[in-house]
Amino acid sequence: MDTPNLNSSFPASLGRAFIFFVQELGGITVFFLKGLALIFTWPPQVRRTLDQLYFIGAQSIPIVMLTGLATGMVLGLQGYYALAGVGSEGALGSIVALTLIREMGPVLTAIMLTARAGSAMAAEIGVMRISEQIDALQTMQINPLRYLISPRIAAALVSFPLLTALFDMVGIFGGFLTGSMLLKMNPYLYFHRVRASVEMDDVTGGFIKAVVFAVIVITICCYQGYTTHRRQGGFGARGVSNSTTRAVVMSCVLILVSDYVITSLLR
Amino acid sequence: MSQPLIQIVDLCKSFSGQKVLNGANLSIYKGEITTIIGKSGGGKSVLLKHIIGLLEPDSGQVLFDGMPISSMNKAQKKAWRSKISYVFQNAALFDSLTVFDNIAMPLVETRRVSKEEVAAAVEKRLAQLDIGAIGNKYPSQISGGMQKRVSLARALITAPEVVLFDEPTTGLDPIRKSAVLSMVSSYQRRLGFTGVMVSHEIPDIFFISQRVAMLDKGKVVFEGPPEDLQRSDKPVIIEFLQGLEQPRDALTGMGTQQQLSKSYEAESDRSARTAQAFCLVVFSLDNLEEITEQSTHVMAQTVMANFAAELGRHLRVFDSCARYGFDRILVVMPNTGMNEAKKLIERISRSLQRKNVVPIAPYPDFCLMVSAGFAQAGADESIEAVLERAANDEKNVYTFKVC
Amino acid sequence: MKKFNVEMAVGIFMLIGLLCVGYLTIQLGQAQWFKGDSYLVQARFLGISGLRRGAAVEIAGVTVGQVDRIELDTERMLAIVWMKIEKSIELSQDTIASVRTSGLIGDKYIKLSPGGSDGILEPGGLITETESAVDIEELVSKYVFGAVD
Repeated sequence: MDTPNLNSSFPASLGRAFIFFVQELGGITVFFLKGLALIFTWPPQVRRTLDQLYFIGAQSIPIVMLTGLATGMVLGLQGYYALAGVGSEGALGSIVALTLIREMGPVLTAIMLTARAGSAMAAEIGVMRISEQIDALQTMQINPLRYLISPRIAAALVSFPLLTALFDMVGIFGGFLTGSMLLKMNPYLYFHRVRASVEMDDVTGGFIKAVVFAVIVITICCYQGYTTHRRQGGFGARGVSNSTTRAVVMSCVLILVSDYVITSLLR
Repeated sequence: MSQPLIQIVDLCKSFSGQKVLNGANLSIYKGEITTIIGKSGGGKSVLLKHIIGLLEPDSGQVLFDGMPISSMNKAQKKAWRSKISYVFQNAALFDSLTVFDNIAMPLVETRRVSKEEVAAAVEKRLAQLDIGAIGNKYPSQISGGMQKRVSLARALITAPEVVLFDEPTTGLDPIRKSAVLSMVSSYQRRLGFTGVMVSHEIPDIFFISQRVAMLDKGKVVFEGPPEDLQRSDKPVIIEFLQGLEQPRDALTGMGTQQQLSKSYEAESDRSARTAQAFCLVVFSLDNLEEITEQSTHVMAQTVMANFAAELGRHLRVFDSCARYGFDRILVVMPNTGMNEAKKLIERISRSLQRKNVVPIAPYPDFCLMVSAGFAQAGADESIEAVLERAANDEKNVYTFKVC
Repeated sequence: MKKFNVEMAVGIFMLIGLLCVGYLTIQLGQAQWFKGDSYLVQARFLGISGLRRGAAVEIAGVTVGQVDRIELDTERMLAIVWMKIEKSIELSQDTIASVRTSGLIGDKYIKLSPGGSDGILEPGGLITETESAVDIEELVSKYVFGAVD
């Protein structure tokens, strides 16, 4: 890729960066599609998918509940003061529920999962790459994409929406805690507003986001780990740490960018 | 010669602009062990990875049974892959699986075998490689040497036709190095696979490989039987061998074969000038193989090391000796007639009785059989010729037991 | 033991997750696939400023349904509002539908005031008597600048 004596002027390096970007994009897409297709090959990998569900899903419950509760409580507090300014505290339930279900739930859940599961996956697969375990799979005629990536994609596609729903629920409850318990709002009014203002479109929109984020996080993190050896200095602990950092940063940025894109498409 | 099983033709491969392989040619024949030597970073592992298809060549071909890999269809590729196993340099075991599951993996994932069959096959390999007790442990809980053996067991579980070894002995102590190599050799004889190995363990690789190839600057500069390599006068080979040559053999603490040859030649010259007699004695541990079968490779190599240490203590300063195979030691005794040599051997045999050369007998009443053949070397006789006489001349073979 | 734990944990996770999804879709999103016990009626308004899909439909302050969809009658330039009404509620043909606001800047909703007619509105029927939304801006300007007409 970086043959010496190449034109090092700005347009040339920009061009190279663009070509590199297009290649990476194509690589990531193919990587995901292959991993996705291999989920449906016989025999199903029940054990490994279950292990990944445990890792991505079950073990993330505490952190998702904690962040969900905190987010809901803050939203309740902020929303209350903002609404009280225009005399519409009654709308707190709508504000909290809609913000959570449409935006905060999917985005924050995805970011928390990137931090907890995505980084671990990038590191784990990266270590497997540099210690030749992935090569070993290949020599044993085991498709590494099927063995390593497919169970993770399947588990993420299930876990992200479920955890997002959990985040939303706990968050709405958190808003109720500050609104009604702390600030003495009418609890029935709060839940009435929640129920009245949330539409099916809001809920499905939130789930669409969760699924898209699942694809982004799982693909980026696995891909970064999987291709640790292809980057410069991609050997040893340094290579793995580079992949992990890149995986987390890229995932988070792409979550936020795609969130905007999806929101504008869904309206 | 018959058609090689694997043929590497004009293989070129470069990584980020740096040419690692630059037109390498190599033939690997069925049923032989071919060892690839060369400077580190010289592309030995890269060459090995091309054989199993982990890497794709920039140009050139790898032929398997005369068929280029690049033009194989899917079914052929699958068949080819299933015939080859690869033993990785640093074991490459899966940390999240137990040793048992690691070894069972190639069977469980790719073949339709019942659980009982898998268990039986794994147990068999575990026992053969002397790692029976660690099936339930995780790779991080066992030593590096054990990991290597587990990885060897994993490679052999599918009964492959070709096994590729990427530096199977680096990081092991001398006894285990010799044990791993003698294990490879004995498996190869028993199972009849074709072996390709990257290794530096001189002299051991000369004992076990039928062919040696040397890689330098991305090209194969030598290809042939190990004896030819030692005799070669190409400067690049001499330089490499000298660079590798340690002053002492790591297992026995004795001099190297090269040094022995030199002192043999020096003695040969001297005896031609002065007509002084000198002797060549070859000690062989005749039932070392039995220890291997009843006990372990490691035990056999320990016995060899113990024996060599004891022998060394009784030799005189001007005698020079070297290991000449997995179970043989060669001694050059200058200024020594046949009778004198015989007396010396008798003395050694007596003192060996008192020492604990075999730390743990493979079975009760086990006796180590040692035969010491000796012959007087004549002027202008090659070392091999004298060796031949020493080992086969019934009259001059002195056999004794160490119990 | 480890196997049991993993399966148990994953099971609990799936259960919690599905319960949350269920609550969100059925309770909050008012997913339709469980209650088919409603019927549609339509009403035409001159203006519905701010009325949205899902807005409540009330009779005497009690919610009896919601706005299903809003269309524009391009010929007459009227807003057509389709409402989903609970099956148990029978509306008379002369029911009056009006767009109201709860609170000063609160949500818009539709208030139905049943009339005295004996004729019952069929599913898909049209409510003819409507009152359009009260435009606060208009009201304020009327108050400030006096009646224009």
